[in-house]
Amino acid sequence: MRRHENNVAITADRPVGTGQPTLVLVGNPNVGKSVLFSRLTGKYVTVSNYPGTTVEIARGNADIEGESVVVLDTPGVNELAPRTEDARVTCDVLRDYPEATIVQVADAKNLRRALLLTLQLAELRRPQVLVLNMMDELRKSGGRVDTRKLSELLGIPVVPTIATAGMGIQLLRKSLESAAAPRVPVDAASGRGYEQTTKYLAEANKILAQVYAHVRPQRPTFAQRLGSWAMHPIKGLGILALVLYFTFWFVGLLGAGTAVDFLEHVVFGRYVSPWAIRVADAVLPFPHTNHTEVSQYKFQIPLTPTRGIVIAESQRTVLAPTYSIAPGATLGGWTQTRRLAHDFLVGQYGVVTMAISYALAIVLPIVTTFFLVFSLLEDSGYLPRLAIMVNRVFRWMGLNGKAVLPMILGLGCDTMATMTTRILETRKERVITTLLLSLSIPCSAQLGVLLAMIASISFRAALFWLVLNIAIMIGIGWLAAKLMGGDGSDFILELPPMRRPQLSNVFIKTFARLEWYLKEVVPLFILGTAILFVLDKLAVLDKIARLGEPLVTGWLGLPRETASAFLIGFLRRDYGAVYLLDAATGPKAILTPHQVLVSMVTITLFMPCIATLFMISRELGRKTAMWITLFIFPFAFLVGGLVNHIGRLFGL
Amino acid sequence: MSTKRAEYLDCPLCGFEFEKHDTACAHGCPLGRFCKLVCCPNCQYEFPDRPESIGLLQRLFHRPKPPVARPDAIPLTELDEGESSELVCLNCEHPHRRNSLAVYGLVPGSRVVLQQKRPAYVVRVGETELALEAAIACEILVRRV
Repeated sequence: MRRHENNVAITADRPVGTGQPTLVLVGNPNVGKSVLFSRLTGKYVTVSNYPGTTVEIARGNADIEGESVVVLDTPGVNELAPRTEDARVTCDVLRDYPEATIVQVADAKNLRRALLLTLQLAELRRPQVLVLNMMDELRKSGGRVDTRKLSELLGIPVVPTIATAGMGIQLLRKSLESAAAPRVPVDAASGRGYEQTTKYLAEANKILAQVYAHVRPQRPTFAQRLGSWAMHPIKGLGILALVLYFTFWFVGLLGAGTAVDFLEHVVFGRYVSPWAIRVADAVLPFPHTNHTEVSQYKFQIPLTPTRGIVIAESQRTVLAPTYSIAPGATLGGWTQTRRLAHDFLVGQYGVVTMAISYALAIVLPIVTTFFLVFSLLEDSGYLPRLAIMVNRVFRWMGLNGKAVLPMILGLGCDTMATMTTRILETRKERVITTLLLSLSIPCSAQLGVLLAMIASISFRAALFWLVLNIAIMIGIGWLAAKLMGGDGSDFILELPPMRRPQLSNVFIKTFARLEWYLKEVVPLFILGTAILFVLDKLAVLDKIARLGEPLVTGWLGLPRETASAFLIGFLRRDYGAVYLLDAATGPKAILTPHQVLVSMVTITLFMPCIATLFMISRELGRKTAMWITLFIFPFAFLVGGLVNHIGRLFGL
Repeated sequence: MSTKRAEYLDCPLCGFEFEKHDTACAHGCPLGRFCKLVCCPNCQYEFPDRPESIGLLQRLFHRPKPPVARPDAIPLTELDEGESSELVCLNCEHPHRRNSLAVYGLVPGSRVVLQQKRPAYVVRVGETELALEAAIACEILVRRV
């Protein structure tokens, strides 16, 4: 989208590349650009109360005074120097759209820093509008801004808004016409840096003195006090423990327990799968007798992983996806084809009976509950405070507290988390975080399965798994930080005020993430099952399992059958875990508790899924992705084997 | 746009810190790039630039500079929680860090309130609440108000 010399005349008053008037939203982090963007365009982008959540440019169309206008949302910046990835993206957008009108969004409470950016933007000599957002919070904190005077001083329209409530948007649409280049003294010669920042801030102070009045309220509000408790060395730990427990209860017990049980055993086990089997039998008939199994179901509200309040209990005999053919019966060519299609849909590795039911009954409830909690925390402004609490630990791994956001998001989906490592400042930090994400942060689908597996081993073994995993994470992080060149970054983190989360925002955000997740995940599940089905039909599964036998049976000490679980684990880590779960706790359990522990350790350390691998190579390049992969798989087997042998040695 | 961090030099005579390409003789000196001397834009003192190999050695055996003692100022870390102060200067080892603090409004003359010390330092500048590590907080020199 570069300007060509010969068509300058044609595009003189039009932005390059689009042929349409363009607005670029620019502003400090966490001032409401994304909300304003969705207000203008009706399009949704993930909005949160965490500085630096917009990692990609959102693009949409807005109807402004009867004209269609392209709107671009940029990541938040504190200054116009391309020091971080985010700032680089914003600078690139400003350079690539030299004709665009700049809409600077500012936090009305924090005018000084907004003005610093206004003065830097003024150097570009472009039509500009200043939006003072969050006027409601300004009023609550006791401040007042004279917008008319400010508009006079800067020579550009100044529009007060409350974007979350949609107030002032109409006014903004109208004032875009009168957008003008600011009439302020600028000093582009001295270049971006400390000297210029000081000069501009002094200028900003001069302007502020004329337009800003502030009366500090006497008593801190409850939200402010909660905000300071959340980063208190002792109270903060208490709140952290509470948040962790609530997350564990909501996602691990309610989501992965109650909701999964209901969907898996009742909805799919009793209705969807038997119904699909019957339909398949009717459409694709061949002589066989279906097997049945007994489905037991307890509806309970969980208290701890092993205890809960049972509300209802039921037992029923249902159709199973397996069948037998009368001995001696021979099937003709057509019947064989029908049988194959039948198996592909509703067989043991069937699209409906395995892929869809795993994706919707096991993964969906866990991911949904996780994203709900995450959106809630994000909206409340708790996450940056969490970063403060864990900064010290993350320092050991060559990271700082800011890396906690991708890490927590990794508990939801490692692929998504890998993308958000962009908020980290240096490449070294991004590589380490990505490596640790793939290595030792289990994603929610996997976590649910792992929690269910934990139920079948002793408390001590479960604790061992947890401690080992954390030790590996810190140890590998420390080693990677020592071995890798490059810089870490300073821990300077802005704290947004704690806010009461807006429920509608939380739901929309959860929904947007789920939509993304389902679009990515369901096709992968179906693909995974199809590959499995083909391997099973060609009896390759057995062969590969036999090939991997020495590794799996000898080194890991697991039964031969689990080899295929690790094979699937290459495709999707959680999928492999589901498979292992069946072997561990299913009706035909073949694993001893010791073997369960070994397989849990190995499968946790595996690369999450093929999608994560694609994302890593997109973010860090193919070479780094290859190195990470080459490290992770042997390392997972190495640790799994060590656990097996050492465990046996001490007779645990 | 260059992603490389600018190189900074300290003038051995007056202690002024400046970006390497800012050297006063770089613009218009006939010797141009053949000249190995750099000139401090503040006091015009000319001195030889540090060669790459020495720079590497310095990085290997690097010892943090002891904080510059100033009679009129104390590091932020010595304030009590809740105490209010005026920023005197940023005594940062890396100039880029100085600017990344400045964009939050931390410039000489601004009013800084220390809100807490543990697990990280939290300061309030205007309406901005900022969390800092101890290593950064002790580079901020303030005067009690």
